[in-house]
Amino acid sequence: MIRFVDVQKTYANGVQALKGVNLQINDGEFVAIIGLSGAGKSTLLRSINKMISITSGQLFIDDAEISSIKGKDLRMLRRNIGMIFQSFNLVKRMTVYNNVLTGRVAYHPTFKTVFGLFPHEDKILALESLDTMGILDKAFTRADQLSGGQQQRVALARALAQKPKLILADEPVASLDPITTVQVMDDFARINRDFGITIVANMHHVDLALKYASRIIGIKDGRVVFDGPSAAISEAKLVEIYGRALKHNELLGE
Amino acid sequence: MARLTLTNGKVVIKPFNRIWIVLGIVIALSFLFGYVVALESEGITFRPDQLPIILKKMFSPHRGETWIDYFSYILELQNVMVMTLQMCYGGTVIGALSAVPIALLSSKNIVKTKWIYGPFRFLLNLFRTIPVTVLAVISIGMVGTGILAGMIAISLFTFGIMAKMLFELIETIDMNCVEALESTGANRVQAIRYAVFPQVFPVFIGYTIYIFETNVRSSAILSYVGITTIGTIMKDNEMTDYDKVGGAVILIFVVCVIIQLFSDLVRRKLE
Repeated sequence: MIRFVDVQKTYANGVQALKGVNLQINDGEFVAIIGLSGAGKSTLLRSINKMISITSGQLFIDDAEISSIKGKDLRMLRRNIGMIFQSFNLVKRMTVYNNVLTGRVAYHPTFKTVFGLFPHEDKILALESLDTMGILDKAFTRADQLSGGQQQRVALARALAQKPKLILADEPVASLDPITTVQVMDDFARINRDFGITIVANMHHVDLALKYASRIIGIKDGRVVFDGPSAAISEAKLVEIYGRALKHNELLGE
Repeated sequence: MARLTLTNGKVVIKPFNRIWIVLGIVIALSFLFGYVVALESEGITFRPDQLPIILKKMFSPHRGETWIDYFSYILELQNVMVMTLQMCYGGTVIGALSAVPIALLSSKNIVKTKWIYGPFRFLLNLFRTIPVTVLAVISIGMVGTGILAGMIAISLFTFGIMAKMLFELIETIDMNCVEALESTGANRVQAIRYAVFPQVFPVFIGYTIYIFETNVRSSAILSYVGITTIGTIMKDNEMTDYDKVGGAVILIFVVCVIIQLFSDLVRRKLE
């Protein structure tokens, strides 16, 4: 469970990205955060695993207040949270298998990981994560040999290898083509359904968000302006979030 | 500045590219300095006809000797060459490895505190102003004129260049992978091991082999401060026994070509 209590974030340059956010996200939900570029979607998402520190307010994860934790406690928090990025953020020169194993690094002491020593269970777990994502046959291929969709699946396998309770996704399909986009979104839905992992994703495409997420959070100018089931969002609300009506060609299309 | 008019009447002002002025000044200065140097040098004897004569003396047997003598002399040099290579190898590897932590501490994107990377960079810049011969003289002061002194000098020299080249390389890497590693809960050292090292490793190896080759060639110079290397033969013969100097040059050439072939092979394997 994630709970935001009057969370604010002001960047060093004076930009107020979050202006008092109150939210609760329960275990097992699939939440899409929508809004214009610069509305604060990314800040909201990254404050959850403290890749960005909030300026004021409180942020709870499973009843633990995280806004002031650091060092080992912070790393223990992060290893339970997978993160997916728009540009995949794999180490391109490494094999797919080694990329997935990096999801296990935080579970072991530094000196062991420096020499690349992982226990047998981790190696099996990494390969099983790849199998779950349907790319076990690519395990020993270099990451940069894969297509965009495959690379995002490797990133998902890396997140799965962390054995997370929650996966954060920052524009996970924004650099993929429409067909691959649907495949990767199906993967998210499957992970959410089969493993009960909570998914919180920032989305460009409103129709994708409505189709896959069970709950929509609309952000405008650092504030939550909509929070409810996907079915309940109205055309008028979308106009409020985006400042104008979305044209048909701005949706991905069914 | 140039005014460009589009067919629809819009006018775009293109700023002048200053690179041409800079390039012009650089080239003009080189001519000026060349002229000054020539004026200042006393007793110039311009005798280009000497070049083929010297080359012939270098790359053919001494008068009264045979080609067999010439090549057997090159073979005699092999012990010195092997010692030189060992000295360069040890020095290069030790220098390159010890440059790694310092390069990390000098990288803006790894150490975000200016108070840390700033001083390290400053010290590295100072350190690189020391010529390799001076490093050798200092080493000789500590361990005598053996090739150990040469190895220390070469490792210090390698350390200086490598730390500089490496931190510049580290600053060009994709930091998104580091972010990804840190999002999994990895600590700084683990993030460096799994996101930074894989990205810089192949280039680091390439640099090391390149510096090794440079070191083999420049180790000849170390003989002038008293360390026995392949260059000693050139110094001891006061550059008069041209055939012996020529033999040493051929040997250095062959070794450098072999190192280059090896380097290409390693780089292909790492790609």
